[in-house]
Amino acid sequence: MPSTDLAIEASDLRKTYGSEVALDGVSFSISAGTVYGFLGPNGAGKTTTMRLLTGLSQPTAGTVRVSDTPVDDRRALAAHVGYLPETPPLYDEFSAREQLDYVADLRDVPPDRARERIDDYLDQFGLADDADRRIGSYSKGMRQKTAFVQSVLHDPDVLFLDEPTSGLDPRAARRIREFVTEFADAGTTIFLSTHILPVVEAVADEIGVLFDGQLVAEGTPSEVKARAEMGEHSSLEDAFLAVTSAGTDAVGSESESGEAAEVTAVDDR
Amino acid sequence: MSLRHDLRHGRRIARAEFVRSVRGYVRNKRRLAGLAVALLFFGGNFLFALPTAYVLGLTARSVDAIPYFAPVATAVPVLLVALATLRTLERIGRIDAADLVLTTVHPRAVVVGLVGAEIGRLVLWFGVPVAAFATAFALGLGSPSLLLSAALVALPLVCSVAVWGYALGMATLRLFRRLPSVRRVLKGGGLLAMVAAVVASQFVGQYIVTEGTSVGVFVSALTLAPVVDYVALAFVGTPLARPASISAVVVLAGLLALTPVGLGVATRQASRLWFTDEPTPTRDDARQPKTSSGWLAAPQPFAWRKAGRVAWAFLVRARRHPQELAHLVMVLFFLGPLGTTVAQSSSDALGPLVAAAGAGFGTYLAGATFGLNPLGDDRPQMPVLLLTGTDTRTLVRGRSLAGLAVGVPVAVLVPLASILLGTAPIHAVGFAAVGCLTCLAAALFAVGLGAAYPVYDEREFWGTETVVPSTLVMMGYIVVVGGGTVIGLVVTWYVLAGRLALAPLLLAGLGVYLALTVGVSYGSYRYALRRYRRYTFD
Repeated sequence: MPSTDLAIEASDLRKTYGSEVALDGVSFSISAGTVYGFLGPNGAGKTTTMRLLTGLSQPTAGTVRVSDTPVDDRRALAAHVGYLPETPPLYDEFSAREQLDYVADLRDVPPDRARERIDDYLDQFGLADDADRRIGSYSKGMRQKTAFVQSVLHDPDVLFLDEPTSGLDPRAARRIREFVTEFADAGTTIFLSTHILPVVEAVADEIGVLFDGQLVAEGTPSEVKARAEMGEHSSLEDAFLAVTSAGTDAVGSESESGEAAEVTAVDDR
Repeated sequence: MSLRHDLRHGRRIARAEFVRSVRGYVRNKRRLAGLAVALLFFGGNFLFALPTAYVLGLTARSVDAIPYFAPVATAVPVLLVALATLRTLERIGRIDAADLVLTTVHPRAVVVGLVGAEIGRLVLWFGVPVAAFATAFALGLGSPSLLLSAALVALPLVCSVAVWGYALGMATLRLFRRLPSVRRVLKGGGLLAMVAAVVASQFVGQYIVTEGTSVGVFVSALTLAPVVDYVALAFVGTPLARPASISAVVVLAGLLALTPVGLGVATRQASRLWFTDEPTPTRDDARQPKTSSGWLAAPQPFAWRKAGRVAWAFLVRARRHPQELAHLVMVLFFLGPLGTTVAQSSSDALGPLVAAAGAGFGTYLAGATFGLNPLGDDRPQMPVLLLTGTDTRTLVRGRSLAGLAVGVPVAVLVPLASILLGTAPIHAVGFAAVGCLTCLAAALFAVGLGAAYPVYDEREFWGTETVVPSTLVMMGYIVVVGGGTVIGLVVTWYVLAGRLALAPLLLAGLGVYLALTVGVSYGSYRYALRRYRRYTFD
C-alpha cells in the first residue's frame, strides 16, 4: 500500500545528446510502496529515464532523489535500489548460484543470510534444479529470472524493472507479476517499465506515460483512461494509444484507437 | 537465379558490408584518435620507405634478375590462399543478420558479397601504402607501365585465390563443426605453430646468409616454374622483363577458369554450413564441464578481503572461458628476438637470461591479462557493479590483484627455476624480487591505460566472440612496460653482478627511473579509479 513518504522525486529532468532532446523537463514524485507503471512507445526515453533514476547516467539538467538520497551519491544510493535492466547483467561463466553468491558479497549481504535467501529464491523461481548449471547455457527466461533475483537479494527500497517479463513464458511472467505485488505489499516501491500493458494494468497503482521525451499523462490507470476520454469499458491500451497519438497521422490514430476499442468491446461481449 | 543477378546482389552486399565496417571504424572518436596516432607512427616510417623503394627500382635497372624472385613468386599465391582461408575462419565465415540475408538472396551472392567486402577492407588498410611503394619502385625502374601490368596480373590471381581460400575456409569450418575435437587440437597446435614460426623467423635471415647455397637448392625444389613465369608477366615492358612463355598463358587461362569453379565450390560449402544444423552434442562435448556445484567460495588468501574475492571471480571466469585472454598471444611476436638471444647466449649467461625473461613475462601477464580493457570487459555488468555499494576502488583493485595472481608466480618461479640452469641463488632471488615490483607497477599501469581507451564491441577472435583490448593499447603497454622492465632488469643484473659503480649521475638516473615508474603507475591507477567512479552510460 502506498505511503505518504516519497520514494522517488524527479524534478525537471532534461537529457540531451548533442542537439537531440531525449528527455524534456520530466518531473514526478512516487510514494513509497507504489507500483509505478512507466509506459511509452519505443524511443520515448524510458531507458534513459531509468538510467537517470539509478544514477547510471547524468542528467543535463534537473535532480533526482531516491529514498531521499541524491542519485549521484552512488555509494549511498546502492543500498536503496535494485535494478533489472532490459539486458540481464550476468556472467555466463558462473552458475546461477555462484552469480548470486558473488553479487550478494558485493552487496555486503552476510554470507549465511545471503545463501539462505539465494536458496529460497532459486526454489521459488523454479531454478533450484538448474542452479549449478552455467548461465551461458540458460534460456532467456532463466537468465531473466536469475537477474530478477539478483536485483532483489538485498531487499531494496526501490526496485527498477525494465521489461522484466520480456521473453518469459506465461507461468514465469505470472511469477514475476506476483513477486512485484508481494514486494509492493511489503513496502517496496516498484518502478516498472514495460510494453506489456496488461501487466501494468494488473499490478500498477499509478502510471506515467512518456512520449517524445515528455510525461504526457500520469495518475492511476482509471485517471489516465478518464483523461484520455476513453469509454467506460476501454482498456489501458486504448488510453495509451490516445495519449501518445500527438504528432502522428490523426486519421490513422483515430482509426487505430477505434479498432482497439472495437476489439475490446468484442472481447467484453 | 542467374549469375548476373547474383553478382549484382553480391556487389550490393559487399558495398553494404564495407560501408558498415567503415562506419564502425569512424564512429568512435577514441578509436579515430588511436588510428591517427598509428598513422603518424607508421606513416613516418613509410615515408622513409618510399625513397628506398625508388632506389631499389633504380638498382633493379641494372640487374639481370631479381634475387629470390622464383621462390617469392611461388609463395605469393600460396600465402594469399592462406590469408583468405584465415580471414574466412576468423571473420567472413558467416554474415550478420544471416536470417534476413539468406532468405533474401542466393548464397552465391552472399559469398561474393562477403569476399568482395573483405577485399575492400584489405584495400582500405593496405591499398595506399602498397600502391605508393609500387609507384616509387616503378618510377625508380623507369617503367610506370609496371603499375598497369602488375594490376592486370594481380587481378585474376586475387580473384581466384579469394574464392578458393574462401572455399577452403568454409570446408575447414564444416570440418570443425563435425569434429569439434579437431578444432580444439588445431587451436592448440596453431598457437604452438605461431610460436615456432615467430621464433624461426628470427633465424631465417642468418641461416640464409650462412647457408646460402643449400637454401638455394631447397627453395628451387619448391619453385613452380609456370607460376613464376606468370608472375613475371607483371614486368612486361620493363628492364626486368622475361620472355613470355606458353606456361604463363596456361596459368592465366587456368586462373580464369578456376575462379568460377572456385566460386561454385565456395557456394556449395557455404550453403552446407549455413543451411545445416549443428550436430547433436557428442560425448566429447558432454565431457565439458557445464556445471559448478557449490558457492563461489574464494580460497585463502583471496578470501581475506573483498578485493581478493573479486580477483578470485576474475580468475574463475578466465579459467572457464580462457578465450577471453586470447589477446595475450600478441606477446608471441616479441618472443622471437628473445628466443634468438637465449639460443645464442653462452652457457654462463643462459640462467640469468631465463631468470630475467621470467620476470619480464610475469610482468607482462600481471597487467595484460585483465587490465587492458577494464571498462569494456565490465560494461555489460556495470548496472550491477555500480549499484552494489562496493567501492569502485575494490573493483579496480580486484582486477589488478587477479593480474598479479597470474603474473607474480611466473615472475618468481621462473627465476628460481633458473637456478637449475646455473643462476646463482642470490641472483635468482634478486630477479624474483624485482619481478614482483615490476608486476605491481604493470598491474597498476595497465588498468589506467586500458580505461583511457575502452573497447566495447565484441569481435570474433580465435574462434570466440569476445571483447579484446585495442591493439593500440596493447602496443602502448608492451612498449612502456617492456621498456621499463628491461631497464629495471638490466640494472638489477649489473647490481647483482657487482658491476655498478654508484656515480652521482647514475644515482640520479635511477632516481628518475624509480620516480617515473612509481608516478606513472600510481597516476594510471588513480585515473582508472576516476573513470570507474564517473562512469555513466551516456
